[in-house]
Amino acid sequence: MAKDRLTEVLIRYEAVIGLEIHTEITAVNTKMFCGCPVAFGGEPNTRVCPVCLGMPGALPVPNEAAIEWTVIAGLATECDIALWSQFHRKQYFYPDMPKDYQISQYDLPFCSGGFVDIEVDGDGVAERADLGGALPFVGPEAVPEDGGYRARIGITRIHLEEDTGKMVHVGGSEGRIAGATHSLVDFNRAGTPLMELVSEPDIRTPEEARRFAQKLRSIWLALGVSDCSMEEGSMRVDANVSVRLRGATELGTKSEVKNMNSFKSLHDAIAYEIVRQADLLDAGGRVEQETRHWDAGAKRTSGLRSKEEAHDYRYFPEPDMVPFSFELAWIDALAEKLPELPDARRDRYIAEFGLPKHDAAALAAEHALACYFEEAVALTGADRARPVANWMLGDLAAHLNAAGIEIVASRVTAAMLAELVGLIEDGTISGKQAKEVFAEAASTGDAPGAIVEARGMKQVSDTSAIEAVVRSVIDAHPDEAASYRGGKVGLAGFFVGQVMREMRGQGNPAVVNEVVRRLLE
Amino acid sequence: MSVIDLSALSARQVRDSIALGEFTAREAAEAAYARIEALDGDVHAFLQLTPELAFAAADRVDMARAAGNELPPLAGVPAGIKDNMNLIGTRTTCGSRMLENYESVYDCTAVRRLLDVGALPIGKCNMDEFAFGSSTENSAYGPTHNPWDLERVPGGSSGGSAACVAAGMTSISLGSDTGGSIRQPGALTGTVALKPTYGRVSRYGVVAFGSSLDQIGPFGTSVDDVALALEAISGADTMDATSSSEPVGSYTDGLDQGARGLRVGIVRDMLELEGCGAEIRASVDLAAETFAALGAEVGEVDLPAARHGLAAYYIIGPAEASSNLARFDGIRYGHRAADPADVLDLYMRSRAEGFGPETIRRIMLGTYALSAGYYDAYYGQAQKARTRIIEDFRAAFERFDVLLTPTTPEVAFRFGEKSDPYTMYLNDVYTIPVNLAGNCAVSVPSGLCSTSGMPIGLQIIGDYFAEAILLRAAAAFEEATGFDPIPPLVGSLNS
Ligand SMILES: [Zn+2]
Repeated sequence: MAKDRLTEVLIRYEAVIGLEIHTEITAVNTKMFCGCPVAFGGEPNTRVCPVCLGMPGALPVPNEAAIEWTVIAGLATECDIALWSQFHRKQYFYPDMPKDYQISQYDLPFCSGGFVDIEVDGDGVAERADLGGALPFVGPEAVPEDGGYRARIGITRIHLEEDTGKMVHVGGSEGRIAGATHSLVDFNRAGTPLMELVSEPDIRTPEEARRFAQKLRSIWLALGVSDCSMEEGSMRVDANVSVRLRGATELGTKSEVKNMNSFKSLHDAIAYEIVRQADLLDAGGRVEQETRHWDAGAKRTSGLRSKEEAHDYRYFPEPDMVPFSFELAWIDALAEKLPELPDARRDRYIAEFGLPKHDAAALAAEHALACYFEEAVALTGADRARPVANWMLGDLAAHLNAAGIEIVASRVTAAMLAELVGLIEDGTISGKQAKEVFAEAASTGDAPGAIVEARGMKQVSDTSAIEAVVRSVIDAHPDEAASYRGGKVGLAGFFVGQVMREMRGQGNPAVVNEVVRRLLE
Repeated sequence: MSVIDLSALSARQVRDSIALGEFTAREAAEAAYARIEALDGDVHAFLQLTPELAFAAADRVDMARAAGNELPPLAGVPAGIKDNMNLIGTRTTCGSRMLENYESVYDCTAVRRLLDVGALPIGKCNMDEFAFGSSTENSAYGPTHNPWDLERVPGGSSGGSAACVAAGMTSISLGSDTGGSIRQPGALTGTVALKPTYGRVSRYGVVAFGSSLDQIGPFGTSVDDVALALEAISGADTMDATSSSEPVGSYTDGLDQGARGLRVGIVRDMLELEGCGAEIRASVDLAAETFAALGAEVGEVDLPAARHGLAAYYIIGPAEASSNLARFDGIRYGHRAADPADVLDLYMRSRAEGFGPETIRRIMLGTYALSAGYYDAYYGQAQKARTRIIEDFRAAFERFDVLLTPTTPEVAFRFGEKSDPYTMYLNDVYTIPVNLAGNCAVSVPSGLCSTSGMPIGLQIIGDYFAEAILLRAAAAFEEATGFDPIPPLVGSLNS
């Protein structure tokens, strides 16, 4: 969809967006109510037992570590932690749900009433059509240095439940149920601890929704509660979207949009939905309350059912477990142990290492990047943090992106990058040479020092050696030397190039530059 | 007929006889099967016999004795197991067509514990479908008959477990009790039948009916046997989050301490409930006199909220049951309808075909009670009544060690006599409040009805985890009455 179309709609309509974010707690070893391991994939129905298959007579026993992780997630997002809480049964029939009820939480979630602050900058700011040039005092707060703004998104609750199994529809197209001849169920995922976070409807643009989801992901990663893989489904984001004319006080009818497998899909699906609803209203129609499915290929949402059935989940307190009561001291101890969160880490990178805000934020947002960065800086020294950051966000990021791998799988380890930066900073190799060394290290996994040694790449900074080469080059090109001296100073680059070629790239560029100019004068 | 007459021996005597070499565990198992062969065609206590498991267990006992090892407390004791408890190597049908071919894939903790101390798993006992009923007439496989009068019901839902002990087919058995399903058939068959405190025995592996009410417990022909079995099956279980870590004491050691000094309370207002037979009422007063004669301090107490027990139970029980039985959907196990058009059709027909009428009635009751707009009026109110019943019992146990009521308002009735569900439900009016409160209670035989000749049961109720005191009171009463009921059917077989 054209961006200006969204912006045009958002000038007339206000979008009201709330997210429901399901995150599997992959930090635990075992499922929510049984001893089966928590992992992704595997042969179907190999990580199952009587409990997570819902066999007759089997009983759930709560995984206390999963409850603790949920409380930690709540503490990291400024939630109130319940001193008294319990599970409820949410009842509906579906083949991927072994007991035909899901053990979830109802009126007593573990965490409630929190918030997360997001910052929007760059192109995303334009979506906030209401802000225009005048930033309101209430609500989004300007972050003047980069033209963006900051907004606080409320968190209604975070509760804990068990994940369902997975259906595989056979015989239809693309694994969809339509046209399928039969369906298979894999219960490996059934019973995996699942945190459900429900935001307040405080989100006003697709970009804010994306930033909020990204921020939560970076917090969850910093805590270590989940691997947060949207592709593997360990983090799943659904959006409730409605629109109303600007100035209206009543909320519009919302639709629930599902099946966004990336942050980009989340943004695009919400943007599509806003425009779709606005077009409906403009045409005098009305929005149906329904669940809609995002098709990333076709770039549109479609209704899952023609008529939304009103579900009565018949919640009631789970009688197979006694309610939980938590000591304040236990909660306080967990709060004490919270690790540094992304915002604090970003601010520290700026203060401690002098990183530009954008770089600091990029490194701090991704826990694995931050760990890599801090390890490399610890090895090579805080004064070299900026080149480490530049390499990480430049060549390393490009390499990982091209190779399609995560930083934890990088052949160039933090120690190797620290070594490489050291070789540059102490003048052993030039920046140009370093790029070659990096490329070789990335493909072979060899240490930068060894590569430099093996290829005889050591940079020559010795002035007298460079002077000898520069003299011979000037002698070999008398005409050009005369022109230079006659005022064509641009020819300096020609001489530098000739010298570097003679030295097979090993001359220290700064020294070569200086010597060329001095000897030509 | 085998030389061993199980009906004449207690479980303890069976075990001790085997230890002394008077007969072998294999012979005990043979005696059980011989009696089943002779009587179970009429009684129909068993849905499935498991001789391979029983003889393997017997051989382990006999080998242990041959090796000179000390035998565990229930070594070689024939036991019946209600068919809602999982045991690998058996089907667990719950008396339902839904699970007609369902093979257990794991062991119920209480069953495992019983077998671990040497008991022999003779077979799986008949029951009302999914434990919904008080007569076993709701079994999909035909009713169990009362060994005292084959024209009469044995009670339920654990009717098969009660009948097999009453008929001397096994020395002990396990049942489950959600609203009286152990104690009521215990009373109707003249056996000793215990519902332990909620959490005393793990529920892992017993197919759930009302999760907040269910408890597994033993049947026996003596208080001592029931205490022995309770010792075996009690205790915390990591597989059941509602099992209690309250220490398991010896339930047999103090049985001979008598009733002197015990504070015994007759629950007077419950005795006066409409529908309680005069002879039943008189039997409780007689029991109180017996306790007084034994040196107990006897008094009276009212449990005013208990009259709401039946109503509360028929909300909470079905509510939990409707949820617990959702899993029988034809997808993973159990009955599946043929040629379903789609998944909804699969669900609806599998369940309609697999469940009997009383099961469907309870599921509908419970589903309705939990529905939006009705939850507060039904489930919410029922929980309030439950809280008041708990408070009543708590207050009563500040004054008394045990409480006395009838187990049932009348003796065993004839098949088909209670054709509408409500009159059937009334049979559990004395037992239900105990499940709602979570206390322990035992039914002990207190006499025979003068007109029908059928057994009458006395319900003795104990405080939370006070099984030791409860059983001590029951043992004192048992000894004082000297009543050792043998059904005529069994007597004729023995003569
Ligand atoms: Zn499992």
